[in-house]
Amino acid sequence: MALRELKVCLLGDTGVGKSSIVWRFVEDSFDPNINPTIGASFMTKTVQYQNELHKFLIWDTAGQERFRALAPMYYRGSAAAIIVYDITKEETFSTLKNWVKELRQHGPPNIVVAIAGNKCDLNDVREVMEKDAKDYADSIHAIFVETSAKNAININELFIEISHRIPSTDSNPPSSGKGFKLRRQPSVRQRSCC
Amino acid sequence: MSVQEQSPGAALSAASQSPCEAEEAALGRCLSLLPWDRFSAWLHCICVVGFDLELGQAVEEIYPQHSKLTDKEKTNICYLSFPDSNSGCLGDTQFCFRFRQSSSRRVSLHCMLDQLDRDLPVSLKKDPAYYYGYVYFRQVRDKTLKRGYFQKSLVLISKLPYIHLFNAVLRHIAPEYFVKNEPFLEAVCSDVDHWPPPVPGKTLNLPIMGIIMKIRIPTCHDKPGTTQIVQFTQQADTQISIALPTVHEVDLFRCFCPVFFHIQMLWELVLLGEPLVVMAPSPSESSETVLALVSCISPLKYCSDFRPYFTIHDSEFKEYTTRTQAPPSVILGVTNPFFAKTLQHWPHIVRIGEIKLPGEVPKQVKVKKLKNLKTLDSKPGVYTSYKPYLNRDEEIIKLLQKGVQQKRPAEAQSVILRRYFLELTQSFIIPLERYVASLMPLQKSISPWKSPPQLRQFSQEDFMKTLEKAGPQLTSRLKGDWIGLYRHFLKSPNFNGWFRTRRKEMTQKLEALHLEALCNEDLLFWSQKHTEVETVDLVLKLKNKLLQADREHLPVKPDTMEKLQRHIDAIILALPDDLQDILLKTGTT
Repeated sequence: MALRELKVCLLGDTGVGKSSIVWRFVEDSFDPNINPTIGASFMTKTVQYQNELHKFLIWDTAGQERFRALAPMYYRGSAAAIIVYDITKEETFSTLKNWVKELRQHGPPNIVVAIAGNKCDLNDVREVMEKDAKDYADSIHAIFVETSAKNAININELFIEISHRIPSTDSNPPSSGKGFKLRRQPSVRQRSCC
Repeated sequence: MSVQEQSPGAALSAASQSPCEAEEAALGRCLSLLPWDRFSAWLHCICVVGFDLELGQAVEEIYPQHSKLTDKEKTNICYLSFPDSNSGCLGDTQFCFRFRQSSSRRVSLHCMLDQLDRDLPVSLKKDPAYYYGYVYFRQVRDKTLKRGYFQKSLVLISKLPYIHLFNAVLRHIAPEYFVKNEPFLEAVCSDVDHWPPPVPGKTLNLPIMGIIMKIRIPTCHDKPGTTQIVQFTQQADTQISIALPTVHEVDLFRCFCPVFFHIQMLWELVLLGEPLVVMAPSPSESSETVLALVSCISPLKYCSDFRPYFTIHDSEFKEYTTRTQAPPSVILGVTNPFFAKTLQHWPHIVRIGEIKLPGEVPKQVKVKKLKNLKTLDSKPGVYTSYKPYLNRDEEIIKLLQKGVQQKRPAEAQSVILRRYFLELTQSFIIPLERYVASLMPLQKSISPWKSPPQLRQFSQEDFMKTLEKAGPQLTSRLKGDWIGLYRHFLKSPNFNGWFRTRRKEMTQKLEALHLEALCNEDLLFWSQKHTEVETVDLVLKLKNKLLQADREHLPVKPDTMEKLQRHIDAIILALPDDLQDILLKTGTT
């Protein structure tokens, strides 16, 4: 069975639960008092998808503003980006839109974008309507799920959906496939700034 | 009561497990890690060295911020992280240096690091007295700065001699750092603090700023001359992961290209620990060439000091350049023209120009006379009056020349060269290995009731006699004065270091055999025939042996320690109750 390494990054505002989503996916655990991430933390998990093994190389970036400029190192070469917002905080949804813009301008051309509205267990203090988020996701051809890292809702589904959307390597080179295009013309790949 | 019926006791030592389990257990014990322990297993710290108009070079930042460096160390790092003299270096330059640690410090996981060190090839073992500095230096015009130039170095300080790995890390992180500053370094440190421990022989995945570096640290059990390349996965996207073919090797052929015809003489000079200076146009050339020289006698360890890049500001400058004593057994890499004068009295000087990719090989064959070396502008070559002991191997020269003509890739040329050096070194060392092995006392001279027998003395004349029948002529077609080479080598620091290591290994082997012999005796029966005082004495001695075996990782058979512990327990149980209590509690010194 072929093993594919898929780089995946998590982006989003501070405190929305990026690390918790990764912990739930990789370790199946939840810690309400998790420390803020410095730079980015890295974890891997291998899952079977059809006749391939997908090894997710997960770069869980820091949401804090001072690490904002480091993001390109993590989404560079990524097969997928999971942009996370907190359904109980409207402003985290605005931040998400900025991430989409940044990926459109500087991200890899065929990156699969997934939007995760986290903390869906806190429905009674919701600020972002599910339908609004879904409509937005559809408009940019992104995967959309509401998740709860705390209650393990839709976490595995999120990654399965990513596996599903990643172009298969069987006959095509990775650049051509049914990945969702953020822009029409795949422009010249962003070179590192060095 | 028979010994076998005794329960093994709770205090089974780790060595009774399989070596692998023992290692895991020891790692596990130590891996209740403190923050920064993982970081410290790889790096001591990361420094940023800048240029201040008033102060000159200065360490601007140290990460992690709690890292300690003495003022002397900082001064050395400052000067060693910048090009010495006006050697240009516009743009980005990478090189490495080595400096003396000025005070001993312990890291909280040293037990784990000792364990890892044990499985390393001897030339990669950590030297407690030295650090390496891996430098990424950037110098670009910048009109907004007073000096007109941006000049900064990002420096990794480490005990590990893994130049290829750390150069790759710096190539990946330094250019981004110069743009993104502090938070970037904070993130780098956090990444390194999540790296797995540097265990030899395993494929390690090291996440660093958005990519994975895949490496394998060699072990002392690897077959010499083979490189166990980390397996590449199908994708070769460097934005995702990079597999490094080596952690420590330099590009031998590229380094030796300027002094191509003299490689075999250089091998002799390094083997003999002769004072050697490499004069190069820039620190990257000097450091790579010095490391290439040091590695050319592998698997022998080069035991003297070597400085891939050495400056006039180095704290050992006086010590190494004094004219009141003969030049020391060291290899120095320098770039400052001043050294051409300071080191005029040195017997062997390697002068290299800019290292180009080997398209042309220098034509001149002759060794140059020392008196012709006046300045750093002198032509590339080896300046010495040394007469090699061995006749030159024309075949390797022809083989490499042919490679140049046929445009054989530099990597392939390096592989050929490395194999050539390896065979040469092995041909040289095998007779010594064989002779030293014969110093081991016979198995039958080991008695459990006497101290372990001593190794026989090394006798130069006896050894020389063995060369007639079992000398290097068995494995090497090279002719020449092998005897002379051996006589010279036996006086060198490299022989000393090598023999010390061998003697230690053999002494430990004797200790281990002695221990095994003891275990096969009926110790309980013995104690019953002796006085209580003698029995207590035996118990204490056995306990000490057990501790020693554990501490020094004596190469005993797997169940030996367990057996010995059972003997001890059995003897103690046969003693009166009050004595039992005391002996069970007594730790040993």
